[in-house]
Amino acid sequence: METFLLYLVIAVALGFDFVNGFHDAANSIATVVATRVLSPRVAVAWAAAFNFIAFLVFGTKVATTIAKDVVEPSVQSIGVIFAALVGAIIWNIVTAILGLPSSSSHALVGGMMGAGMAKAGTHVLIGSGLRRIGVFIVYSPLIGLALAFSVTIVITWIVHRSRRPRVVNKTFRSLQLVSAAMFSLGHGANDAQKTMGIILALLIAGGKVDATSDVPTWVVLSAHSAIALGTLFGGWRIVRTMGTKLTKLQPMGGVAAESSSAAVLFFVSAKGIPVSTTHTITGAIVGVGSANRLSAVRWGVARRVAWAWVFTIPGAAVMAAATYGIVAIFN
Amino acid sequence: MDRRALFFITAAVACALLVPVTPPSLRYVGFSLCGAYVLLAFLSYMDDRSRHSR
Repeated sequence: METFLLYLVIAVALGFDFVNGFHDAANSIATVVATRVLSPRVAVAWAAAFNFIAFLVFGTKVATTIAKDVVEPSVQSIGVIFAALVGAIIWNIVTAILGLPSSSSHALVGGMMGAGMAKAGTHVLIGSGLRRIGVFIVYSPLIGLALAFSVTIVITWIVHRSRRPRVVNKTFRSLQLVSAAMFSLGHGANDAQKTMGIILALLIAGGKVDATSDVPTWVVLSAHSAIALGTLFGGWRIVRTMGTKLTKLQPMGGVAAESSSAAVLFFVSAKGIPVSTTHTITGAIVGVGSANRLSAVRWGVARRVAWAWVFTIPGAAVMAAATYGIVAIFN
Repeated sequence: MDRRALFFITAAVACALLVPVTPPSLRYVGFSLCGAYVLLAFLSYMDDRSRHSR
């Protein structure tokens, strides 16, 4: 029975990963679609391929952080991780209804914290790991913003000096393919690893692998497959909508935002820090907008992102703690 | 003072405030980011001044 439950919760974790790919595909390829460099279907396949091959480029440090640096591995059980996942999912649904652009990654960390605390109290939280995650919630969009602002200024300077606008435009259309691929690679690396971390924690809790062991290869492959499939199956519908809404997008801005946020994601993935890919690219887009003028930025949206920052971790923690309370009754 | 420079200074202050709570091995991120925002604020201020003096 325990093995069945274990694999059931692994399936829920992979489902969470699938939805992540479904949802976030638009972040990486909306600009490519909006500027008609690729059709929505081809763009989605492009993003999914780079989501999948991320496992060849990056290690599994982010997965290890999620599995071992948020809550003491000794208190993690199938029930705790199930409650963490359900808490994160409920929070995502609630914020989607409220229209708050919350982060699945932050919700997952909050869910782990809430379920862990509901089981064994606050002492099970690992301060050093949470500090690392917490400061990068703020740092990652700010790095993205500063980088994108600087890249936009440099690009604008190059474009103004050029006397061949047609060549410049063609160059940026090709560069968009590269920057979208890089962002998808970073997205696959950071977000798929969060699911790997959850599955690793489950396998440790279920006694299937040793507490000191690395992420098994089948977990790596299944997590990357789930996020790539999510991108492939769901993304194109969202991209089609985004692509028609974002008609004012310039290839230059897309290249600056995507390449800057990709650089941030590469850095944090190499350091083993889980961050929100959505918030990172939001910071980069604000950077591109503010290179023109501050009023070019839709500050209402930025404010909503900030509120989502503040509330997601405690909100998901409360949902997960409540879910663990129900799970404990049946345990 | 122009609003963009003010925004960058606020970001620099936020980074500076985060440095003490950042794990020691990653503090260089906070310092570099704080420095970058101070530089951007200065450049933005100079840009604004040059526009208004024209």
